[in-house]
Amino acid sequence: METFRYTHLPAAHAHAYVALFDHVSNAAHLRQRIVRASQLEGPEGDHEREAVNFAFVDARLITSILHLQTAIYQAILAKIQGSLRTKTVHSEILWALSPNNNITEAIKRFGVSDSTASLIVVRVGPPEMSDIEHRMKTLVSGDPLPLTDLTKLTDWFAVRKCYKLNADPALKAPGLSIAQQQLAAGEIVVSTVAMKSIAA
Amino acid sequence: MESPTSRLLESATPISQGAEAKVFRAYLHPSLQRSSSELQSNASDIREPILLKYRFHKQYRHPTLDTTLTKARVAGEARAIIKCLRHGVNVPGIRMVDATEGVLGLEWIDGKTVRFLLGGGAEDEDEDETLEEGDEGQVVKEDPLKEYGVSQDDIMGMIGSEIAKMHSADIIHGDLTTSNMIVRHPTPPKGVQLVLIDFGLAYTSTLAEDKAVDLYVLERAFSSTHPASEPLFASVLSAYKEKMGKDWLSISKRLDDVRLRGRKRSMVG
Repeated sequence: METFRYTHLPAAHAHAYVALFDHVSNAAHLRQRIVRASQLEGPEGDHEREAVNFAFVDARLITSILHLQTAIYQAILAKIQGSLRTKTVHSEILWALSPNNNITEAIKRFGVSDSTASLIVVRVGPPEMSDIEHRMKTLVSGDPLPLTDLTKLTDWFAVRKCYKLNADPALKAPGLSIAQQQLAAGEIVVSTVAMKSIAA
Repeated sequence: MESPTSRLLESATPISQGAEAKVFRAYLHPSLQRSSSELQSNASDIREPILLKYRFHKQYRHPTLDTTLTKARVAGEARAIIKCLRHGVNVPGIRMVDATEGVLGLEWIDGKTVRFLLGGGAEDEDEDETLEEGDEGQVVKEDPLKEYGVSQDDIMGMIGSEIAKMHSADIIHGDLTTSNMIVRHPTPPKGVQLVLIDFGLAYTSTLAEDKAVDLYVLERAFSSTHPASEPLFASVLSAYKEKMGKDWLSISKRLDDVRLRGRKRSMVG
């Protein structure tokens, strides 16, 4: 697990705890558990909602740590400014990642689905959430990886389709190497996420 | 309570200021802090700075109007940039947006302005967006172009070709000058590139007139900041012409008209 510490943010949202898992085996169960938690009522529901109070992001669609950080940062900013478009800061991360404004579609595409094999788990919160890594690991059955391995899991074909990059002249210029195309695609993707709040 | 973005600005280093905005250098994301179980170091977590363009409050405007205008301008600039990116024009990427506070966070471009590389001297303080010129104090007699491994003519070609890409996407920059172009330092992964900056006055237009005026503004900027600019600007135009193909003809005709009458259209009649 890694921790992003934002010293200029108010304490309640100053830290983002992020873990990466590959070969996740309980994606379907996890998804059902999140859906059920949202429907439960009373103290039992509160307890279960807290247990799954994370953002679960499909790692295939994330191109770089910066891509993820940008979405997390814009989501925290919206939370602090009271301009969330979804219900929580965690769903806001998924919405920020999505190239369009449909919340359901954002969660479907960027969240955990039954077939998700690699997963990023994010928790935004105050400093000193000591048991968070343990909680993430009990929640997700899979192999924990260092976050820097993120780029090895990127599915560029899916990224291009999702962010509609295939029609972009930036990637179609003749003589571009694969690495150059990915550099250009990564830049478009990060910029798209960063400006989500003011996209037309 | 103080907003997160204004606290970020407090931690930032001022670079320059214009009438519309102040420009800062800052660090947005922390470097990766590893938990004890994953101690291996990795080259990818070196912190990169970002550039913050802060459109401050204008005391002379009504607060409501001020907020609306600022928001619209931040959004407009961001939209022009993303359009350029998608069309393969070299521009700084977007890193964060806080439209309420009037802040646009952009990729930090390590390099020098074309103005500096052509010996145009120090940036004036009235520039809207500039690079830091850290080593300006020492007199460096050596040709700065050597470090970049490009000739003056190469740079002119790159300028023409970037502007052509931008105009093909129907984006008009609105303030083309040699200080609004940075030659990126030849370090990987991106290498030497000509990067267009400051899209604060950019807009979308398909008209040959607007593209011709864009070029004319640059031509005037060349002749007023750089000695013997005619051959320089001629190589910009020839690269532009090559990249524009059939659209060149109408723009070229317009450019001749604009040269005679100036940037503004005559309102007589």
